[in-house]
Amino acid sequence: MIPLPGIDASADFWPAHLQRAWRAIHEAATSGTVAPMTDDDPLSPRRPARWPWAWAGVVWAVAWLLMLGLDRHIGLAQAAITLVLASALAAIWLPLVSSLLTTTAAVLAFDWFIVPPKHSFSVELSEDVLLVIEILILSWVVTALLARGRVLAARARRSARHADQMRRLGDALRDAEDPLQRGQALREALVEVMGQPARLLLLRDATTPPADEAAASTLGDPGADELVGLWHCVRLCRAFGPGTGHEPELPALYLPLRGTETAAYGAAVLPLGPGAVITEDVLVQAQALCDQLGQLLHRARTQRDAESANALAQAQAVRNALLAAISHDYRTPLAAILGAASSLRDQGAKLAPEQRERLTQSIMAETRQLSRLTDNTLQLVRLDAPGVKLNLDWESPDELAGAAIERARRHDPERRLKVWAEPGLPLVRCDAVLFSQMLENLIDNALKYSDAPAPVELHVRRHGEHIVFAVRDSGPGVEPAWRERIFEVFQRGDWRTGSHNTAAQRGAGVGLAVCRAIARAHGGDLQLRPRSQGGSSFECWLREEEAPRVEERGAPAAGGPA
Amino acid sequence: MSLRVLLVEDDRELCRTLKDAMTAEGYDVFTAASLSEGFALLTGLGARSGGPPVDLVLLDLGLPDGDGEQLLCALRQKHTVPVIVISARESDGQKVRLLDAGADDYLVKPFSIRELLARMRVGLRHRGTSVSPAVTRYAVGALNIDLGTREVTLAGQPVHLTPTEFNLLARLVRSAGQVVTHRQLLADVWGAEFTEHTHYLRLYMAQLRGKLEENPADPQLLMNEPGVGYRIIEPQG
Repeated sequence: MIPLPGIDASADFWPAHLQRAWRAIHEAATSGTVAPMTDDDPLSPRRPARWPWAWAGVVWAVAWLLMLGLDRHIGLAQAAITLVLASALAAIWLPLVSSLLTTTAAVLAFDWFIVPPKHSFSVELSEDVLLVIEILILSWVVTALLARGRVLAARARRSARHADQMRRLGDALRDAEDPLQRGQALREALVEVMGQPARLLLLRDATTPPADEAAASTLGDPGADELVGLWHCVRLCRAFGPGTGHEPELPALYLPLRGTETAAYGAAVLPLGPGAVITEDVLVQAQALCDQLGQLLHRARTQRDAESANALAQAQAVRNALLAAISHDYRTPLAAILGAASSLRDQGAKLAPEQRERLTQSIMAETRQLSRLTDNTLQLVRLDAPGVKLNLDWESPDELAGAAIERARRHDPERRLKVWAEPGLPLVRCDAVLFSQMLENLIDNALKYSDAPAPVELHVRRHGEHIVFAVRDSGPGVEPAWRERIFEVFQRGDWRTGSHNTAAQRGAGVGLAVCRAIARAHGGDLQLRPRSQGGSSFECWLREEEAPRVEERGAPAAGGPA
Repeated sequence: MSLRVLLVEDDRELCRTLKDAMTAEGYDVFTAASLSEGFALLTGLGARSGGPPVDLVLLDLGLPDGDGEQLLCALRQKHTVPVIVISARESDGQKVRLLDAGADDYLVKPFSIRELLARMRVGLRHRGTSVSPAVTRYAVGALNIDLGTREVTLAGQPVHLTPTEFNLLARLVRSAGQVVTHRQLLADVWGAEFTEHTHYLRLYMAQLRGKLEENPADPQLLMNEPGVGYRIIEPQG
């Protein structure tokens, strides 16, 4: 016998036919064949078969042989004990009523055949009357106790079986990877209980289900009528069909997959054979199995909701911090612009031409700062969005560097900018607008944080399999503790080693953060390397890719000097 | 009679500032705050003058009642009036589309009045050039280009260019001072089927720079407008 956890210990003490039945159940359960798992299941009342009666017959036959055969050698008391023993043994196999009737018949026969006077129901001695009555009562009590025990044992087995089935379904549901696999596991469990394949409707989401095919998936191809019933069951979140107290005339049982008292995450339809009777016990077990899946789906959904709420709160916090940092960055140039403009309006006549010129210059410079800040913020938000798409094209490193320098020159009156590119660099694949923005930011930064007349250089060179764009300044450099943090949006503070450049009081936060985001969006990275002779080198590393070839055949054959 | 400019811009403040600045330079400025107003003005002015309705159009992209492209297309069907697109940084794609559709140049907000006036001058100088190429000679610094004889000299020395290099240079010279989009360059020099082959442009521009620029990474002549196209600087004088 195949051992079953928690049940096999007592199994050896069970009568053979129960063991056989149990083995059949277990085989059916483990092999997955479609067979009713019950011997005492009222749905299939075929089992109380010939064999129990045969065993009982044998017992009674032996007992009567003993009693009649040894009549002359044993006393009335011994014969009575034999009868009680036979009655008790037969009661093991026979149903209660049969057992009681058989026992009564046997006691009457005992009175007829053995109690003197024989072949008469009258009893000679008054103590024998007591004996016969006692035998009858004793046999009845034993029979009743045995029957009661049998009922309890059957109930315990059923509970154990149901518990085991619940546990196995739980395991299967946990192991399943998608809702359809889970539904399949539930179907297999329901087949064990009902002996008929179930059909399922599973909702993708359990929010006021519409009768919409897209919102749910089905298993086992329910018919159109069944589908209507399933949706109805989901909406009402209530079982109906025979045995449920609702619409008992239906040919099938509809059970909701309940996640909570009022929310169903799907429904199962269990077709019933003609004339089949559903007991309370089977109904409860089937509903429990369905609810197990329902609760699992409910838990998953609750967890999902909690996670998304959490993510939303986090995103909100990040956004708030970003907005706070940005509005701080905006306020400074705005204050400068407003100050200069109001000064020009209110005191314009009193100011010297040089003062007026300086105020105008200040307005223009601060406006440029605001414009840059706006571009960077927009870009940061764009790059942060999921599924951002770059306008990738083949670009020449020389041109990218040249364009950035040309723009930066407009606000480099001291002409500190130098650019150098290694000859013969390959094309790089990048988004030219974004990449130029990164280079301009880095150059602006370098101009801002290093004092004139120290030069700012843009170097482009090949390094192994990478093209490196380096913006190098000879400023005071960055404190080691700040070398990573300056790339974070919200970090601000004076990270420079002892300079009094006022521009540095404004965080470079958004600017460097967007630079790194751009480098990473290109599959590269942006790093800060301190220079040996002082200053910083911001280096963008891009992996070299093989550019498409150029064929001369595309050129029109025009004349001219060659 | 002063030159007439149509300014289509929905921001009232910017519109007034630009109008004042251009008026101060002697232009006759008409303003429209929407596409429909722009159309109405063009129709009215065209009917009055009989010829082109205005001499130059400044077209903002973010209009409340539609895409500036409609106005450009309607205008291009009849006239070669220069159109300069004014765009914000985030409408890059639209800006290039308008340039490809026939706009002459673009400005990214915010821009200075000096930049605007310089672009307007270039645009006005090119009026009608798409019909009869007016520019056949180009001279900047030590560089001399004669499109008629296909001769290029740098500091008096002839520069040898391949036919493709020369055609590319010539295309830029014909729009000197104005941006020419990648697509336009590829279509005009290589052919319509090459408009996606931007790597051709990169390599030939690098070759041209190698021959014409002192430091190719710090160009003074052949300017790159990232993501848009190329511009050869405006000739002096």
